[in-house]
Amino acid sequence: MPLMGKKNFRYLNKRITRLDAVDKVTGRAVYAADVEFPGMIYGGCLRSPYAHANIVRMDTSKAKAIPGVRAVLTADDVAKPTSWADYPYLCSGTVRYVGETVAIVAADTLDLVQDALRAIEVDYEELEGVYTIEEAIKDDAIQIRAHGVGLKDGVPNKDVKGNIFYDSYFPIRKGDVGKGFAEADIIVEREYKTNFVEHSYIETESCVVMQDPVDGVVTAHASAQNPFFTRRYLADASGAPFNKCRVVQRMLGGSFGGKEELVGMIVGRSAMLCLATGKPVKMVMTREESFMESPKRHPFHFHYKAGLKKDGTIVAWEGSQIDNSGAYNNQTQFMNCRAAIHSAGAYDIPHVKTDTYGVYTNNIHGGAFRGYSSPQIIFAQEQFMNEIAKELGMDDVELRRKNILVQGDLTATGQELVEETITLEMIDHMVEATDYYKKKEAYAKTKNNKEKRKGIALVSCYRGCGYGAETPDAGAAMCTANEDGSILINSGLAENGQGLKTAYAQIAAEGIGCTPDRINFVGVDTHSIPDSGMTVASRGTVMGAQSMRKASLELGAMLKDTAGKMLGVDPEYVDIKDNEYFISCKEVNQERIVRGAASLEIIPVDENGHFLNEQGKQCSIHDTVSMADVCNTRLWTGKSLAAFNWSEPRDLGLDHHTGQGDAFPTYSYGVVVAEVEVDMETGFVDVLKVTSGHDVGTCVNPDTVEGQIYGGIAMGQGLGVTEEVPVHKGQLGSKNFDSYIFPTAMDVPEMEAIIFECEDKEGTYGAKSLGEPATEAVGAAIAAAIADAKGEPVREIPCNLERALLGRTLK
Amino acid sequence: MIRFDYRRPTSIEACLELLDLYQDKAKLIAGGTDLMVELRADDEKLEHVNMVIDTTHMAALKFIEVEEDVLHLGPGITHEEIWENPFLQEYAPFLCEACHSVGSPQIRHAGTIGGSIGTASPASDPLPPLVALGATVVLASVNGTREVLLEELLLKPYITDIKANEMILSIDFPLLNPEAGFGFVKLGRRKALAISRMNVATYVELDETGKAVDVRIVPGSCMPTAVRISEAEAMLLGQVPSYELHQAIGEKVAEEMIKVTGRRWSTPYKEPVIASLVKRALNQATGVKDDD
Amino acid sequence: MTLNMVVNRKPVSVEIEPYARLLDVLRTQLKLTGAKEGCGIGECGACTVILDGETVDSCITLAASCEGKSIETIEGISDGDQLHPVQQAFVEHNAMQCGFCIPGLVLSGKNILDKYPEADRERIVEAISGNLCRCTGYKQVVDAIEDAKDKIDE
Repeated sequence: MPLMGKKNFRYLNKRITRLDAVDKVTGRAVYAADVEFPGMIYGGCLRSPYAHANIVRMDTSKAKAIPGVRAVLTADDVAKPTSWADYPYLCSGTVRYVGETVAIVAADTLDLVQDALRAIEVDYEELEGVYTIEEAIKDDAIQIRAHGVGLKDGVPNKDVKGNIFYDSYFPIRKGDVGKGFAEADIIVEREYKTNFVEHSYIETESCVVMQDPVDGVVTAHASAQNPFFTRRYLADASGAPFNKCRVVQRMLGGSFGGKEELVGMIVGRSAMLCLATGKPVKMVMTREESFMESPKRHPFHFHYKAGLKKDGTIVAWEGSQIDNSGAYNNQTQFMNCRAAIHSAGAYDIPHVKTDTYGVYTNNIHGGAFRGYSSPQIIFAQEQFMNEIAKELGMDDVELRRKNILVQGDLTATGQELVEETITLEMIDHMVEATDYYKKKEAYAKTKNNKEKRKGIALVSCYRGCGYGAETPDAGAAMCTANEDGSILINSGLAENGQGLKTAYAQIAAEGIGCTPDRINFVGVDTHSIPDSGMTVASRGTVMGAQSMRKASLELGAMLKDTAGKMLGVDPEYVDIKDNEYFISCKEVNQERIVRGAASLEIIPVDENGHFLNEQGKQCSIHDTVSMADVCNTRLWTGKSLAAFNWSEPRDLGLDHHTGQGDAFPTYSYGVVVAEVEVDMETGFVDVLKVTSGHDVGTCVNPDTVEGQIYGGIAMGQGLGVTEEVPVHKGQLGSKNFDSYIFPTAMDVPEMEAIIFECEDKEGTYGAKSLGEPATEAVGAAIAAAIADAKGEPVREIPCNLERALLGRTLK
Repeated sequence: MIRFDYRRPTSIEACLELLDLYQDKAKLIAGGTDLMVELRADDEKLEHVNMVIDTTHMAALKFIEVEEDVLHLGPGITHEEIWENPFLQEYAPFLCEACHSVGSPQIRHAGTIGGSIGTASPASDPLPPLVALGATVVLASVNGTREVLLEELLLKPYITDIKANEMILSIDFPLLNPEAGFGFVKLGRRKALAISRMNVATYVELDETGKAVDVRIVPGSCMPTAVRISEAEAMLLGQVPSYELHQAIGEKVAEEMIKVTGRRWSTPYKEPVIASLVKRALNQATGVKDDD
Repeated sequence: MTLNMVVNRKPVSVEIEPYARLLDVLRTQLKLTGAKEGCGIGECGACTVILDGETVDSCITLAASCEGKSIETIEGISDGDQLHPVQQAFVEHNAMQCGFCIPGLVLSGKNILDKYPEADRERIVEAISGNLCRCTGYKQVVDAIEDAKDKIDE
């Protein structure tokens, strides 16, 4: 079985302590809201209480008159009220969602900020709005964005006006579905829905923006997931060139895709206030503001239709995947590319036709959220697979085994899976490890219980690693050695809490040969390294670290070269252990050593390559030379101590009109088994156990891999059972953690992480994506287990008290 | 955040004088777990508040005493202190359970029983068992003291009959038979940090023949305030507890709920669920097994 | 008004607004930024501190109410570079990701072991049920606190 532990690495596959561990347990770690500068003042935002309204009057004079209030800005006061993205820093004219910012203030204290915000007078004229996917695609719906398009022959068409966001439309056309359905013995058709979900990182969006009075550089210390992305807002709002805009990422208190847009917005707004007042400005969102303005997980409506042979072979798959994008273009145009590529599940299907597109509504825009559409899609597809199995009278695990993608198969985009693909082994192992069939039988006996019933389900999924066809997966890394033998590494990708710094230190250690504790990772400072794209798409290790691997190998070779000279041998005979270089004779032709080092005679070696003295005991020649000595020697002989690498991905070539071609360099695979108990009288779902198996290619650090998997289980539990921001005509029904419910320590199930490894040549040292895979199938597995317990399908999540009991929410 | 001035009286008398002086401009703070949240949210009902009078430090409000079969509970006792009290564990286990289910450890360490009464949340966990216990609240003002049955003190969701110049001195209840059965069942959306979607406190005392002689059923988040449902209690009086009977009583509670609240958007969910919770709380009090 | 309290075993005296929250006094005036604000309503526990021996949410604790009281924050539980056993166990288990909730979780873990040195897993889980963590799924956190149990007073 391809379980973790068969690979031979020095520092990968090891439970190395996180680089930031001590800072985090002592409270010393500095997050953006902890940053303080002399003379710093505070900023705040005035937000629209309406989802769709015209601003008819705004009067800021009373706010400006308050002593200690230093600036009150509206769209009229700034050079560029709308950001480089579609949404405004400061809205004028029409507000399009509840919480949209119409004015900003800066004042000496937070109390004064509150006073100023209260003193601003705004009159609105409410407009009719569009809120749901159903409303948005109606022929007679009011149009809320000028460039929205409508449907023609069931697909988005630029000739028709409407609320569809055309750039987010991605079709997949593989084979001929008409032919496929004609060959089918049975056709199954179903619909599924998901709702708005909040990231709920515990740190709200925060920043301090200041300007250096000497060189004019504007610096933002921010809770930025992607510092270079945030810099775009800083430059945009301040009007300064990029080389005078600097973003310093502070310790990031969770993000999961969420600290992109809103962090950019508050950095931009703080820059405006900083430039207007000449003072450092701190802006920290309240939890309620974070709920209102941070992007959400896109709600989806799915319609799938599958044609099957009696033996369970899927021959045709057709579907539509429509998502609620909110009022502004944000990430739907990128995310739906991924959603389309994965629109036919982890299955080998010859004929596929799907259409994926987003619609504008008067809600906060959808954004990136761990999975980037996959948790919603996998939920729908995997429930659909179980409903198909039921129609066929077939075991649902067998249905998956029959259709799951294996090496050599073609994905929905026609990409041949050339790398090792261990899906069948994973399913079989997970069935065995969870005692699946025995439990299934035991839980079936609870089906006649009046009160509590148990269920179990297995789901499978796959995920394209990294950016893939969305955008080039390139990035920079730099490794610098210092005269004391310590190493500084830097990368354009950022620590988001996932353990990137630790993983990169391990990867750099592997390349250099030094111990990971010799390595320090500077946080991302946009003045220190080129823009390397975003730390998203679970690309950090698989693709983003390629440049770190290459730079560290290069530096390692440089140091070895000098060590060889100092030891008097060719560098190929030099090895390093515990940061000491020594002459390695492993598999060495001793004559060649002599040639490399004139002073050496033929000396016997043992089977491990250690030199032996006349008594046959291990001995050393010239002892060793330390990394510090090697680095010091390089410094004083004028040799480089640094290696920079820019790593570019190979060309893929996906045709966006047909959705055909290579979509990702490689794929990671997951199999998740969930067990639940459903209270049939109250709808309470107790998640008993989740066993989560992931093919990670190469496991860099088992502790952090397991941490991702456990955290992914908890997040998936929330998605499946409790998490929803209820929205009624644009008004949020939850704005804080009292009513937005995600699991506490008492709620999480028993968890088991099963780590698979395989051979894959695409990723860094064979590693594949995990951050998003860790959560993407959990909600689906739990929903399927609920369906198993209840004996009826779950077609909408979260399956909260009301949905579990009544099959619908109240209202 | 509503801004306010602050007084820390050192005696009950001084506190009453301050209350009398500031009237409805003042709010008492005990643990602050509700009040601080309401002040932060600029809660409309606190619009006029500009003074907070602190009782957190008052030892005179922290007591658990028994006097002639009546238990006197100081309003300054925290939820955690109730949960951990061995005497209450024996004589009012359902109150302990209810207090233990409030919020989180942090909330239970700070939040007080007096605060729970003052807040009068319809979703309160401690109020149903206190009503079931027949608790009386001793209120004091500069004009003297008065005692009011808790059930009557609770007027509407978040509204009590405590006057602006009054404070709670004690919560008293006659001790029930510790050999009798107590039940508390709570349904939340998660297992901790959960506001009750609904809850139920029950007390059932049986005679030697196994028939119920004292029955108390108090659902929470069901009626506008925590009240005993006498029509449902009557069904068990003089009867031997059974699963079927408890189920019928649960349905009766649901029926009574609808009589009072009418059929609302939430009724399709609440009607069957309160019936089930009542059944389970009665099962718990009487040792009847739930049907898994 | 003046507030006198003992913070991390040292007496402090600060001028505060009567409506100030304990969290703000700690973070802004005493520069103890280990306590974090996550929700402002006592739900997430990121602001947890130990007040007279019990954990509380400092975001809903009125600072003025802390007159004469003793407060322990994350900055006060280690002895110089010598981590508290609970902190050490978190490090050894890599029981953290973004780390924002970790000071609160460490304090809840320490507090339950102070009160119940023999606390079982169930009691530990309950003790941290007022500390929301979005990254870890809590498993490594609970493992760490359980592990620290055996190392206290060694």
